[in-house]
Amino acid sequence: MNPAVAARLRDVAPILTLILLVLVVGIGSRGFLSPETLLVLAADTSTLFIMAAGITFVILLGGIDLSVQAVASMSSVVMALLLPSLGYGAFPAALAAGALLGLANGLAFTRLRVPSFISSLAVGGIATALALAFSGTRSIPIGEELRHAYLWWITGRMLGIPAEIWLGLIVLAICLFVERYTLFGRWSLAVGAGEPAAVASGVPVALVKLLACVVSATLAAFAGMVLGGRLVAGSPTLANEFLLPAVAAVVVGGTALTGGVGSVWRTLIGALIVSVVRVGMTFLGVDVFVQQIVLGIVLILAVWITIDRAKIPIVK
Amino acid sequence: MSAGGRTAALELVGVDKRFPGVHALKNVSLEVRPGEVVGLIGENGAGKSTLMKILSGVYQPDGGEIRHDGRKVVLRSPIDAAATGIGMVHQEQSLLTNLTVAENIWLGKEKPFLKGRLIDHKAMAAAARRQLEKVQIDIDPTVVTEKLSFAQRQMVELAKVLTLEEEIEGHLVIMLDEPTSVLEQAEIDILFARVRALRDRASFVFVSHRLDEILDLSDRVYVMKDGAVVAEMPSADADTEKLHSLMVGRSRNAEYYKENRQKPYRPEVVMAASGLTLAGAYEGVDFELHAGEVLGIAGVIGSGREELARTLGGLAPATGGTLTVFGRPARLATPGEAVSLGIGYVPRERRVEGIVGFLPVVANITLGNLRAVTRGGLIDHAKERTTAETWVKRLAIKTPTIRTLVMNLSGGNQQKVVLAKWINAGAKIIVLDHPTRGLDVGAKEEVYELVRSITAEGVAVILTSDTLEETIGLSHRIIVMKDKRVTERFEAMPGGKPDQLDLIRHMV
Repeated sequence: MNPAVAARLRDVAPILTLILLVLVVGIGSRGFLSPETLLVLAADTSTLFIMAAGITFVILLGGIDLSVQAVASMSSVVMALLLPSLGYGAFPAALAAGALLGLANGLAFTRLRVPSFISSLAVGGIATALALAFSGTRSIPIGEELRHAYLWWITGRMLGIPAEIWLGLIVLAICLFVERYTLFGRWSLAVGAGEPAAVASGVPVALVKLLACVVSATLAAFAGMVLGGRLVAGSPTLANEFLLPAVAAVVVGGTALTGGVGSVWRTLIGALIVSVVRVGMTFLGVDVFVQQIVLGIVLILAVWITIDRAKIPIVK
Repeated sequence: MSAGGRTAALELVGVDKRFPGVHALKNVSLEVRPGEVVGLIGENGAGKSTLMKILSGVYQPDGGEIRHDGRKVVLRSPIDAAATGIGMVHQEQSLLTNLTVAENIWLGKEKPFLKGRLIDHKAMAAAARRQLEKVQIDIDPTVVTEKLSFAQRQMVELAKVLTLEEEIEGHLVIMLDEPTSVLEQAEIDILFARVRALRDRASFVFVSHRLDEILDLSDRVYVMKDGAVVAEMPSADADTEKLHSLMVGRSRNAEYYKENRQKPYRPEVVMAASGLTLAGAYEGVDFELHAGEVLGIAGVIGSGREELARTLGGLAPATGGTLTVFGRPARLATPGEAVSLGIGYVPRERRVEGIVGFLPVVANITLGNLRAVTRGGLIDHAKERTTAETWVKRLAIKTPTIRTLVMNLSGGNQQKVVLAKWINAGAKIIVLDHPTRGLDVGAKEEVYELVRSITAEGVAVILTSDTLEETIGLSHRIIVMKDKRVTERFEAMPGGKPDQLDLIRHMV
């Protein structure tokens, strides 16, 4: 196949895949295409998307953030613990806790030059330990009153649409804006596509990397809050099982793990694909463990298709 | 067929190779007789590396043929080349430092040492010892390669190549790619003695930048220039000056370098170095650079000029001496600092440090000074497009659109994008580190045009170049470096330009 056509195909593959999947599941199970189901699906995708949107920035510049699920869980614990005393103040506190962990990860990555793979894995471990310590290893329920008083913006509906969908859309809009209009967004792409040239051009590469880690962890913390609000509890294991789908969402959307190519927009498509695969399989009666297997296979296939071997001849 | 009726061990007949935009090898013929040491010299870009890569099976020639012991051979891979009897001692050593010497020597050839499914390390070490005896070096084959000196590793590499002897039929030809570049004189003497002693086992192709060594070791010398062999002679008939002028020698064409457009530089000093030193690379360098001037730095590899250029681009901070930029002391500790002082670096490795290939033309042009196209801290896309379009037009960058990825442009146009980036960033000093490397003649001329235009506007240029001719043609003044120090300075205004031989005398 000629390379231009191949590149074009790689480009549109995710959206075609999404349409195809929706049609397949829709035909297999008629209830799937009802507006109510689709709304639930979108709401379900929202937390996953928010988390994946954060990782996108790190992956764009060629790194990875494996700490997100632990950071999200920790943030839900912080929120649940502080809601009774701080009220609305619990939300910025949870976000700040996430941002701080992202900062630690970013400093290890840029100052100590520890590969992001390891630094984020380690910070994830720290986040889990903190969450376990804060919560006394228990799930922390949020009382009915508190829920009504403070969680309306997560659990409610606006214009008939679940609030989570709105939150996801707001994150999407902000991320797209950052990507397109800020120096940080452009520099992330440049670092991912050609770090030596970016360095030689005077781009503050370390700062860009640090910021990406903070953004990723902050969005993970936000995702943890939304998830905690939905389940009306904070828990140190709340977001377990989110890492694989979140990384899958980024990659399935067509953002290259090698950096430099991609967008949060693509991550949205990827997150929807992951959700349709999961929900669709439930609709079609596929066992929940088999779902995880399918998801793993989808991830490998997606990387196989999206990786540009002209750019990286050796894969380790 | 060679002189004396003996069949050549290795023969290239009319070998041709083209890459997009570059004719890398033009009808190259060359022969290596049994037991002979053949020297191969040429400037960067002359085609030596391409030739070596064809002989080691990395590249396939577009035309012509390779003969081994008189028989035509096709080398599809390095394994093919080895099986034919062509071995290579790499400049960047190819030994794996985490393995033992024996493991390195027999890497990929462990089969004879298998006992069942396991490796018999004793047998392997004993066999390795026999190989090491061939090069008369006394090292324990069970030692981890990391522990060896560079010179010892080179001997091991030679011993490894000599294992081919037992596997092939016919003559063994060993290519030595710049084997002396990091060796001390005593080590070089030993290496040469070994090579001489091995001539009854193998023939050698010896590539080096050090012409005295070439004369010392080789029986015959081939000189390459612009992808072609331009001379071949017995070493006995050559001397270093003769070889060097053959290597660089073409009559300099004043028109080619736009010398009529070379204006005198302005009096104001934009950059000054005093006693500038980078430990291990160069020492005590003094110079003044004026607005509108092209200051050429000449010198062979190892003279320190490459590192000096990188220092001035902010990529290798000096360890001593002082540097002032526009009258203020500057350290140039990072590229970011250099950029903020108005210095732009056009690197030798264009594809690595110059362009971001996966970004479009527009993003590359604005990368050096993205803030200039922002409004209220946010990127103004309309302004960015206008900026990029202006530069594409002014520098005649050939690209379908400004959204085209830079990786899809020709080398010359990529280089123009890099220059556009710095001119757009308002650079007042531009460091051109081998700016025409890998470009064809037409693209080079366009780069020269650009240099004349920007200097006419007062931009100062530091130039290190692949050819002396280019250095002389473009520069206002030239400093010559040798063995880490400045050895001579030349005025090079049109009408009073020095000769290549004048410079060479102070370089070698």
